[in-house]
Amino acid sequence: MEITEFKSGTVTAVALKGRVDSSTAGTLKDRLSKLIESGLAQLVIDFRDVAYISSAGFRTLLIVAKQSADAHGRLALCGIAGEVKRLFDIAAFTDLFLILPSREEAIAAIAQAGASGKSGASASGKSRT
Amino acid sequence: MRRPANLVYTLDDIPPLHVTAFNAIQHVGLIAINLVYPLLVFHLVDTPLPMVANLLAVGMIVLGAATLLQVMRLGPIGSGFLCPATFSAAYLSPSLLAAKAGGLPLLFGMTLFAGLLEVALSRALHRLRAVFPAELSGVVIFMIGLSGGAAGLRSLLAADAAPVSAAEWQVAAFTLAVMVGLNVWGKGLLRMLCALIGLAAGYAAAAFAGLFGNGQLNGMDNMPWVAAPGFGHLSWSFELVMAVPFAIACVAATMKALGTITVCQRMVDADWVRPDMRSATRGVLADGISTALAGLLNAVGTNTSTPSVGLASATGVASRRVGIVIGLLFLALGLLPKLTTLLALMPRSVMVAALLFSICFILINGVQVMTSRLLDSRKTLVIGLALIAGSSVEIFPVIAAHAGASWRPMIGSSLVFATLVGFTLNLLFRIGVKQTVALTIEPARIDAQQVDDFLRQQGGRWGARPDVIGRASFAANQLVEAVTENCWKSGPLTLQASFDEFNLDVRLSYRGEPLEFPDRRPTDQEIRETDEGMRRLAGFMLRHNADRMRSEAQGDVATVHFHFDH
Repeated sequence: MEITEFKSGTVTAVALKGRVDSSTAGTLKDRLSKLIESGLAQLVIDFRDVAYISSAGFRTLLIVAKQSADAHGRLALCGIAGEVKRLFDIAAFTDLFLILPSREEAIAAIAQAGASGKSGASASGKSRT
Repeated sequence: MRRPANLVYTLDDIPPLHVTAFNAIQHVGLIAINLVYPLLVFHLVDTPLPMVANLLAVGMIVLGAATLLQVMRLGPIGSGFLCPATFSAAYLSPSLLAAKAGGLPLLFGMTLFAGLLEVALSRALHRLRAVFPAELSGVVIFMIGLSGGAAGLRSLLAADAAPVSAAEWQVAAFTLAVMVGLNVWGKGLLRMLCALIGLAAGYAAAAFAGLFGNGQLNGMDNMPWVAAPGFGHLSWSFELVMAVPFAIACVAATMKALGTITVCQRMVDADWVRPDMRSATRGVLADGISTALAGLLNAVGTNTSTPSVGLASATGVASRRVGIVIGLLFLALGLLPKLTTLLALMPRSVMVAALLFSICFILINGVQVMTSRLLDSRKTLVIGLALIAGSSVEIFPVIAAHAGASWRPMIGSSLVFATLVGFTLNLLFRIGVKQTVALTIEPARIDAQQVDDFLRQQGGRWGARPDVIGRASFAANQLVEAVTENCWKSGPLTLQASFDEFNLDVRLSYRGEPLEFPDRRPTDQEIRETDEGMRRLAGFMLRHNADRMRSEAQGDVATVHFHFDH
């Protein structure tokens, strides 16, 4: 899996390419955790070039969402379509995250939420505990 | 059955009178454009104008009866959906062949045969789907469009056709431009009725250009406003050699009726998952009886109207009551000789423009159906060679001219020839395609791409739907991942996949503990904080990804079966 970072103001967009499964989820978690620890907790994860996500990938998203919220950051997802969208639906993850069609819209949503002073809005607040 | 949010009036609702009437008129307008098919056939054999008008009136009555039969559910007949009948392009090419070979009696006799055959096929829809896969249906639909377009153009450009005047070209171009313009840039009703408005504009342009013969329109003055059509013309004949072209058209009509009724099922049920074969069987039976009735009363073959179902979806009015009014309207139109005579007078320039317009959509529909499956080299060759065969007959009429009399009905029609070539190659290329295949996976060297490629390549050989193969691919990969990380003990994993036209089954066997497939999703906290939570999430996703699944253990060998409806 390829991971590419883009900075846009206070928001960091992370574009993924390939498969998010047990062999790549660890690398993704480490990379995103480092960003959050370094103070870059306003995150957008772009799934446009992701072909597959397994339970290991979904677990990573939950962990990163919690880390981001704990650091008073926000997390949005974008580019989720086709087969990946179907997998989000059957895993019941679609309503759990702020999901927007494009990277630009996701960055704008995170930046706007930051400007309006909402904190800890990493997930949509419907976490099942 | 749950009502979709965009549906204003569903099957059993009774809309207000003005809504019912306005919608029914729109449907009649949409269906009326297909009157060009019988007109083209009647013109080919130089049928006298009064006879054409009478046959069109009979045709309207057949459409009315067919629509009522489809909508009202009489005993085991009729789907019960708002799915009106129309004259079908599927029967155009064989009808032209029959009319040329044996005149109108042969056309009507063979239409009766096709209707009875469809009645029989309605009892064996499952088997039909197995020998007539989607890519072949796509070839047939595409060739219906191509052969219909060529037939229309021949009425203008064939060597034995009367030369086309400049005025005729202008009227044809104007008619087509109005239809295309309204379809591309029009909105609402203008767009929906673009073909009918174009037809009216074409008539006006033809009258302005003087394309109606001397006294043709004036002759209508002496006709009564209301009169029942005569049935003194009834005649039928049959030719064995015509059975193949009409059987092919009948199969195409059956598949289209099945598809249209499936669209109706989805339209009225937000919880729709897969086709309900009960209403489909009833609907195809009604469709067959309608075509038999058409043959019996001397009209051309009918079929369910897909554009009409599209209109119901667009307006959100799918009430059965509207269908009943459409049927009654057609019965009433059959009693108006002035109207049917006006339609019978349609100038060829207007008729061909309308035909070309409607055929564009048939061609693209064919392409979409052809490419709705994964295509490997075998399927590619079936489609490619069938299309080349069909096109060759249109481009080089000498092929049919040199064929023996008994072969001419098969080779003389591009639709029939392409279908026969495709059908034969499809059966031939089944040789060597295993219906069950297996892949051995070494846990030390798991390659997700290998599992994906294995299923996709096999899916291509089988002609499986890409979305079903995608679901199977996820099942295999997620299961291999979950098993190797949690349950595996020793030895290789065996992945087995089996396919027929209706089922895809995937089975994974391994030495180790059975994986749990819970019905309830673990909580976010469980998934985040425990390996157990992630494992249970994998099981939960796998359970909901397949249409059916089961897990079993014998000794230390665990096996998981996934079933996907196809």
